[in-house]
This record gives sequence, C-alpha cells and structure tokens, in this order.
Amino acid sequence: MKRSLIVGLIALVTSISGYASAETTLEKIDKSGTLIIGTRTGSPPFGYVNKNNEWVGFSIDLVEKAIVPALSKKLNKPIKLDKKESAPQTRIPLLTSNTVDLIAETMTDTQARRDQVDFSLTFFVTGAQFLVKKGTPIKGIESIAGKRVAAQQGSTNARIIRERVPSAKLVEFPDQPAAFQALAQGQVQAYTNDGIQLAGLKAKAPKPDGWAVVGEFYSYEPYGMALRKNESDFRQVVNVGLMDAISSGLYFEIYDKWFGAKGELPYALTAEAKRFLQMQVVPK
Amino acid sequence: MNYQLNWSVLWSGQTGGWLLQGLLTTLQISLLAWLIAFALGIFSGAMRTAPLAPLRWLASAYVEFFRNVPLLVWMFFWYFGVPPLLPQVVQDWLFDHGAEFWAGVFALGVYHGARFSEVIRAGIQAIPKTQLEAALSTGLTVTQAYRLIIMPIALRLIIPPATNETVNLIKNSSVALTIGVAELTFQTRQIETYTAKAFEALLAGTLIYLIVCLTVATIMARLERRLAIPGMIAPGHEL
Repeated sequence: MKRSLIVGLIALVTSISGYASAETTLEKIDKSGTLIIGTRTGSPPFGYVNKNNEWVGFSIDLVEKAIVPALSKKLNKPIKLDKKESAPQTRIPLLTSNTVDLIAETMTDTQARRDQVDFSLTFFVTGAQFLVKKGTPIKGIESIAGKRVAAQQGSTNARIIRERVPSAKLVEFPDQPAAFQALAQGQVQAYTNDGIQLAGLKAKAPKPDGWAVVGEFYSYEPYGMALRKNESDFRQVVNVGLMDAISSGLYFEIYDKWFGAKGELPYALTAEAKRFLQMQVVPK
Repeated sequence: MNYQLNWSVLWSGQTGGWLLQGLLTTLQISLLAWLIAFALGIFSGAMRTAPLAPLRWLASAYVEFFRNVPLLVWMFFWYFGVPPLLPQVVQDWLFDHGAEFWAGVFALGVYHGARFSEVIRAGIQAIPKTQLEAALSTGLTVTQAYRLIIMPIALRLIIPPATNETVNLIKNSSVALTIGVAELTFQTRQIETYTAKAFEALLAGTLIYLIVCLTVATIMARLERRLAIPGMIAPGHEL
C-alpha cells in the first residue's frame, strides 16, 4: 500500500511537471478550442455590462470580430471566446499565470510594462484627464495640488500623479465604480483616468450634464492588447487580425458602432489617430 | 522561467518604505477596531444574557444584523452609505481627515463587535448560575454583579476564542483596501504593480501577517495560562 502510494505520487509529479513544460499559447488554444481574454466589467464602452445584462464593449468586439476569425483561420477550426474579468492590479498576474491568453481592455502600452508582457498593435489612442463635478475650480493637473484625487490602484495615472504632484492626496480604489462613487459623494474632488473612460462614465451617469472632463492630456495613453512574452506566433495572429480589420474597414465599423455619432459614447476619431492606425498596417 | 528575483524592492528605491507604511496602517486600523469591537462585545454579550427581555432583544438584533452581512458590504456601507447622512460640514471635515481610514475602523469594529459578543456570551453562560444568584443575594445590583463578578470570570474563560477573533480581525483589516485604505495588502499589490515583483511582494506580505498574528496568538496563550481559573477549566495538553 505504501509502495503503490509512493509510485503513484511520483507518477503524478512527473506528469504534472511534464505538462508544465513549455506549451505555446497557440497550442493551448488549439487544444481547448477557446481563446480566454481578460476584460473589464465596469469600463464603458470598452468592457462593461449593459442594460440587458450582456457583457459587451469595444475591446470585446474587436477580439470577437477581428482576432477570433484570424485565430480560427490559422488553427483551421472554429474558436470560441471566453471572457474573464480583469482589473489593473490583476491583469498581468492573470496573464502570466495562464489564466487568460489575452488582455483586451483599456491597458496602456508602456515601456515598463513591456518588460513583463508583450503588446499587440495600438488599437486606441487617448490620454489622462480628470473627471470633476461641473463647476468645481479644478481645471487640470496644474490645479490638483493638495486636492483629494481618486485613481485606480495600479494604473499609470496614479503613478504619474504621485510623481508630478506629490502634494495631491491620492486615494486609490481597486475599481472604477468605487472611485466614481467616491467622486459623486464628495469623498474625493476629482477622479483621474484615461479621457475616454471618463467620457464613458460621464455619458452613462444618471445626469451626464453634472460632470465635466477637464484638463489637457497629461499623459499619452495608447491602448494595446497584452499577451505573454515569447509568443511570437500568437502575437502575429493577433496583429494580423487587427491589421486586416483596419485595412478592410471592419475596425472603423466597430469604432463607429461604439464611438460614432449614434454610438454608446460619441468620440470622433481624429484624422491624426486614423492615420496612425492605418500606418500600423504593414504591407502583406 | 524568466522571472528574476529582486528582493531589494522591498526595502529600497521608490517602493522601499511602502511595506512598513502598510504594516503601520494595518496595526493602527486593527488596534482601533479591536478596542471598539471589545467594548461593543462586552456590552452586547452581557446584554444577551441579562434578565431583562428588551435588553436581550436589542443585543440579539445588533448581533444578528451585523454578523450576517459580509464585512465587504459593511466597508462600503460605512464609507459610502453613512457620510451622506451626516451634515455637510461634518462630511467635508471627514473627507479631509481620512474618511477611508475611519470608515474602515468602524466597519471592522462593529462587525467584530457582533462576533466578540457571541464569544463573550458563551463565556458568561459557562459560569454556573449559582454565581449570579449568590452575587445578587449579597445585595449587589445586576449591573454590579456583572461588572464585579461575572465579567472578570467570563473574560478569563474566553481567551482561546477571543484569540481567534482577534487574529481574524487583523486579517480582515485587509478588506479595507476596497475603500482605498493603504494597508499592508494594498501596499503589497502596489509594490507588485510598480515593480512587477509579485513573488517577493506577496511573500513579504504573507510573512508579515504570519508574524503579527503568531505574536498575538503567543501573547494570548501566555495570558491564558497565567489567568486560568483552577477548577473551572479541564486541563488540556500544553502546547
């Protein structure tokens, strides 16, 4: 009995260590037939739960309509999409622990982050600003010294405020809804996040006119989809998917659906941003 | 594995002092909450066993209401639910002076007060009824009997479960990070996001919690041995 137990344990350990040896993401998706992404549940319109209780968003649509088809074509089988919730402090651990294969939310591509993960092409461009109650004297990063400012823990915005305006009283919340609630009730006087996310919050608020998104972009925030390092094949598929979507016009259809005049959150694509996106598409 | 260990992020550079700050905040919030919980627990536990029905009912309402709702919900209640009920002047003052911290203290204290209450009630009920009767027959009022006779014995009896509750309270202080309190768990995540050294940060946080809780448990165990009442406790095996 004791001997078979030891043999069983050795077999278990070797089988586990055998499994843990490098399996690429493409192999993993091929085996399971599913692409698992991490995305947000409270960041309209990139990833949120809408009135009909559906988990939708711009980032989710991009994956569903541009990347999953590219994956299916590459692996020659239909691929399903599975979504898991991610937030600034959990998204990199979710990725490195293999719980998700791709982070498709509102993650800024930065050099520091590229030390830990790889990024796809930039799929959206914005910058950091402040959301305040209409009428407050706060006009931008120059007026927040000494004020109470909410930010999301783990975001680039919190880091920049900490460095550039150390006298600002930063209160970091785990997620956007809590930070917005604190702003609404007065616990903080401003909430900082990427301009587009603030515009989304404002549009979805019960009284959108009571809020104002103020300040020049105090940081450049290019959004990219994060994936694990050393996965060139998977990254190639993701980038090809995005490039095909941009060159075929599908990207702009999806953009229009969410950010167009009749979209969830009107946010016109500047000519400069459009050119930037198009120039990311390298020749075939 | 591509991960490079770098332990120095825990004590040097931008992230160096964060763990210590987090630990101090955790200790502060835990101590203040513990004092509230202990006070509430003693009153509520005594009231639960009082001869007067309205007092018993009041205490039961407190206990059942507060312990049957998750602590996380209470955190949001005290931080988002209570301030709008206060006058604007008080609100403004509060928000400028650490509203997050105090909301955390009260949420933790009142919740654990309900749990302490049950622990103390068990201690009181373990005392033979004859003690209270004898105390009353010597002319003491009920309040005096509780204060001078029952409570001192009950408190010495419930040191093991009280240790459990105290350690729980210290660990539950981490829930305060959801309302923006920069305590130890918050700081380990902060270090992780700034330096990507998840393993070092989380291991350090784990060890610090372990050391704090084990220290508390050891002190309480010493107290327990010194304050054991001969004849009232079955002798167990010493650790």
